[in-house]
Amino acid sequence: MLARLIVRRLFFLVFVLFGLSVVTFSLSHIVPGDPARLMAGPRASASTVDKIRERYGLNDPLPAQYVNYVQGVLRLDLGDSFTTRRPVRDDLARYLPATLELGFFAFILSTVVGVPLGVLSAVKRDKWPDHIARFVSISGLAMPVFWLAIMAQFLFFGQLGWLPDGGRLPIGSDPPPNVTTLYTVDALLAGEWGTFATAVRHLLLPTIVLAYGSLAVITRMVRGGMLEVLNQDYIRTARAKGVAQKTVVVGHALKNALLPTVTSLGLQIGLLLSGAFLVEIVFSWPGIGRYAVEAIQRLDYNATMATTLIIAFVFVMMNLVVDVLYLFLDPRITYS
Amino acid sequence: MSAEQAAPARPLSAEPVAGGRRLDTAESNRERSQLKRNLHKFLVQNRLNLVGLVIVVVFFLLAVFGQTIAPHDPYAQDITGSKLLGPSLSHPMGTDELGRDLLSRVMTGTRISLQVAAVVLTFAVTFGTLIGSLAGYFGGIVDEILMRFTDMFLAFPALILAIAIASTLGRELVWTMVALSTVFWPWYARLVRAQILSIRERDYVTAGESVGLSGPRLLFRHILPNAIPVVIIQLTLDIGYAILATSSLSFIGLGAQPPSPEWGTMMSTARNYFREAWWYTTFPGLALTLTVFAFNILGDGLQDALDPRSGQR
Repeated sequence: MLARLIVRRLFFLVFVLFGLSVVTFSLSHIVPGDPARLMAGPRASASTVDKIRERYGLNDPLPAQYVNYVQGVLRLDLGDSFTTRRPVRDDLARYLPATLELGFFAFILSTVVGVPLGVLSAVKRDKWPDHIARFVSISGLAMPVFWLAIMAQFLFFGQLGWLPDGGRLPIGSDPPPNVTTLYTVDALLAGEWGTFATAVRHLLLPTIVLAYGSLAVITRMVRGGMLEVLNQDYIRTARAKGVAQKTVVVGHALKNALLPTVTSLGLQIGLLLSGAFLVEIVFSWPGIGRYAVEAIQRLDYNATMATTLIIAFVFVMMNLVVDVLYLFLDPRITYS
Repeated sequence: MSAEQAAPARPLSAEPVAGGRRLDTAESNRERSQLKRNLHKFLVQNRLNLVGLVIVVVFFLLAVFGQTIAPHDPYAQDITGSKLLGPSLSHPMGTDELGRDLLSRVMTGTRISLQVAAVVLTFAVTFGTLIGSLAGYFGGIVDEILMRFTDMFLAFPALILAIAIASTLGRELVWTMVALSTVFWPWYARLVRAQILSIRERDYVTAGESVGLSGPRLLFRHILPNAIPVVIIQLTLDIGYAILATSSLSFIGLGAQPPSPEWGTMMSTARNYFREAWWYTTFPGLALTLTVFAFNILGDGLQDALDPRSGQR
């Protein structure tokens, strides 16, 4: 059963990846203007442009170019960035860890705060915990994440001076020895307490800002799920039997209330990935979001398309994991 | 679930079944008084909905008259006398680095936001409804092909797909609209398809089929109209999100370009002055937040009003 589901999903994954490649390929080939000219720069001679066109196979018919492109992607050859003059693959390897660290902690934070807040809000309905939770979920959905980022930066760096304005570590300081690529974890592993504290201070604002949006969604979903479940007969039965409130809420209700939230995890990941684009710019966070935005601003199409492809790939894979996870959590689901 | 409830099972209204023009006037009277009750519940019993509605109305009025009633010319520069002035009586939201009045710019910006949202969602609803109804109505292989095509677009995180498309096409507002239309339509396709699948099983549709109503007529006169409430709820929520997405794209340098008073564009410049001029980022962001908030509240309220089940919560 499980095997069949995974096979089905993998099949769909192949289809989606094919679609992805078609979309990114078409996007990079309907670029207004001549990509060879863009690569060569405005002052290059006509013969240089021709050479580039020849080298990148831009004279071939489109289907041949597509096959070429896919072969490249399969070999993890994503082309060279016009601006950094390095293979895009190397650039991504360099910037992806920063985004993963930011996204990982934002995800943990939004779950660790969002789930209890949602539960509390449902149990204490229309009392002050509920008002707080509803304020969080309403404001989190409406506030532009980049605005929140600038405001937080203004307050905690500009006015109060409590936290740094951006970056992963102060300029000029050495990152901890690389093990997991996450600075905080690596610093701990190396026993560099000072570096750890600095890394955490740098991580704090971007993480909270990025987490706020998905925190809002999680709180809202858990609250809705809990309110629905708490009205069910089996909860009343449990209460009538004299089961303690805590056991009813955590043991009986929460388990079922969490299911819709788990389904929305895929959405959360999308939110966090897109949010990272905007948060990273404001906090000068050296992740792929900032990399992509800089590539966009410099018309660096190879870098832009590769980043899009990678992010979509990560997104699709994580959604696959969520689907499988969901199956484990809810035996009633059969995905027929 | 909610889809089932949101479309009330209406009789074949205004349709010549068995000779009569209308099936039942008592039925339609009841519907009207039900509507009045819902409206009362929607606006009077729930103050938040009223707040949302008021903000939305103000937003629409500003979109139409904003530029006319703005106290200053939103584009008029004065770099000698009024650069980065804090809020005051003559400039309630302060001025920007070129001495332009921020209040006037924020007011003028509403029109850009509304225009983008209107264009994007008109396209998204039209195209999404078309694909969704074809898939839902014909089923089988048509459904399979159209829906896999739709799923492909949903496989990207929406904002990132929009960024990729807009960055390829060019840095103009019109390309942002194209990009956002591309990411918004698949949701309507799915929504409408799900509606059609549930509605076409209803008795009155079967009845229509049995009296020999033709396919397109059944689809356009009897099935699609019942899917409208759900689409409207989604549309209300999406106006806010379309405005938010436009500003996000403008913020990273796509979409509207300076000197446009688009809110995201303004904040993109304002970011460079965040230490000396808090008001510069604060007010455009506040305007954006309030607008999205209002459309969210209204969408939620509509859902509660049209979906009796969720109203009990």
